[in-house]
Amino acid sequence: MTFIEVNNASKKFRINQRASGIPGMIANLFAPKYEYRQAVKDISFSIEEGEMTGFIGPNGAGKSTTIKMLSGILCPDSGEIKVGGFSPYKDRKKYVGNIGVVFGQKSQLQWDLPVLDSFELLKAIYRIPEKMYRDNLERFTEMLDMSGFLQQPVRQLSLGQRMRADIVAALLHSPKIVFFDEPTIGVDVAGKETIRQFIRELNEKDNITMIFTTHDMQDIEKVCDRLIIIDEGTKVYDGELMGIRERFGTTRQLDVEFVQECSVEPIEKVEILELDQRKKRFIFENRDVKIDELMNELLAKYSIRDINISEPEIERLIRRIYQGEVS
Amino acid sequence: MKRMLAPYLAFAKKSFLNKSAYRFDHFMGILNTLLKIFIFWCIYRTLYGARTEVDGITMAMVTTNFVLSIGLDALFSVNDYYLPDRIGNGSIATELLLPVSFQGRMLFENLGNTLFKLFFHFLPAVVVSALTVGILPPAGAGSFMMFVVSALFGYGVLWSVSYLLQMFSFWLINMWSLITIKNVFINVLSGSMIPLWFMPDWMAPVLKVLPFSSIYFTPVQIYLGQLTSQEILGKCLIQLGWIAVLYLCGNFLWEKGKKKLVVQGG
Repeated sequence: MTFIEVNNASKKFRINQRASGIPGMIANLFAPKYEYRQAVKDISFSIEEGEMTGFIGPNGAGKSTTIKMLSGILCPDSGEIKVGGFSPYKDRKKYVGNIGVVFGQKSQLQWDLPVLDSFELLKAIYRIPEKMYRDNLERFTEMLDMSGFLQQPVRQLSLGQRMRADIVAALLHSPKIVFFDEPTIGVDVAGKETIRQFIRELNEKDNITMIFTTHDMQDIEKVCDRLIIIDEGTKVYDGELMGIRERFGTTRQLDVEFVQECSVEPIEKVEILELDQRKKRFIFENRDVKIDELMNELLAKYSIRDINISEPEIERLIRRIYQGEVS
Repeated sequence: MKRMLAPYLAFAKKSFLNKSAYRFDHFMGILNTLLKIFIFWCIYRTLYGARTEVDGITMAMVTTNFVLSIGLDALFSVNDYYLPDRIGNGSIATELLLPVSFQGRMLFENLGNTLFKLFFHFLPAVVVSALTVGILPPAGAGSFMMFVVSALFGYGVLWSVSYLLQMFSFWLINMWSLITIKNVFINVLSGSMIPLWFMPDWMAPVLKVLPFSSIYFTPVQIYLGQLTSQEILGKCLIQLGWIAVLYLCGNFLWEKGKKKLVVQGG
């Protein structure tokens, strides 16, 4: 069942272009200049119930804007967004009771109050039934190992603790959809792992639909099944995480260790890098060079101790997609 | 009904509790109110000199006006930066994620504050003033009742003025100047600085077309028994009219502003 449906959504912002210095300030006072920046351009996608989708792109690509449109905070300039039968912006008050949002950079907790008091407040705001509240609280605090700091004021928590508390805050009302906007930002390695496992488990057991934005490729590789990449407000990839290798991973890399020091003659369409005296790296495009032919050629000409073929890492591929090298 | 109100009551409770967290600030606030009343009392006592009344207004009435309007001013204290702050630092985003009406939340957080101040700021300040500079008793039980009702409406007017003004923060990043101008208007035209009895005649039409006199001065006049029951009814209806007009205009801007909301930072 299609749960989230986005059709040709666009959003632009007006940006005040101001020259620097005092002359710039005065000019701006009388004749302000504005420029429009298209944050999201004609984006369309649909997401099934229970799907776990990674939403990535470089800074300023329009990820957060899309998340904010999906969660009813921003109104799209054009296009249509439907989530679980609601139109997020128009039905905001009714709609947001069904979703949970975690902004890694913005806390939803009350700064001066203990974590538990913030949770109690959310219980009242979302009108969460007592039993559901108790069950969720108990389950999540155990999964995220939070019992140690529930009574502490939020301002005294470490970033990792605050993030865990924020995640629980977004889930107490058992939402059907959860948006994570950079939920692991600034968290240490162990903390990230805890958060990832928690999210993964929740998605599998409770069948919650999730959208996940991040800059951390580990997050994506460990958590998401599907990947949507956007750049400059448009969608550049939408498909399975593994599919990205097939589609973009056309570069192969062959590391060869020779028995003794030797020089290799140049081979057409293959880039050769010297790793150390006896190790060389051959980089080539799949469609230009057949890997078996290349290996036969090398084996025939040189005495070889070890050969290692590797596929490019997802991270490198995505970096190349960002840089517009592949499409 | 109770279920519908539950989230808002939780907001009110939260701000009530938050308010009690800063004790020093609180005592300074009471001192500030008392000082203000005392200073105005000194000024007007000097102006009155040996006279017992000016234009039929006694010094005791002037004192009562100051105690009540400065007291109510401290009691109401609407946070003019509620929305501007949230737009300025981007936290408006997380607030819009809650399944409640933003306006309702704004009102109830303020009401929680006001309830705290009623018991721990307004009443102590009025009692201390009554014992020092003195205050006239209400003109009667009925006058007192109507005073409470119209003070409540006065709060509504003050809140709505602030509400409408705050909506401009969708378009303007720095709201300080607008808010300061508004507060000057309130100080001068609401009677909390110069009792409106002493305003020159040409000001009367100005006061009539602006909402400020119905914030503190209407309740004070009712308290002192200066109005007939018909006038009381009329003035209270004017208060309600202002609340409706200001709130609806504010709401119109809220709907417009929300559409072009830019979330700052991230």
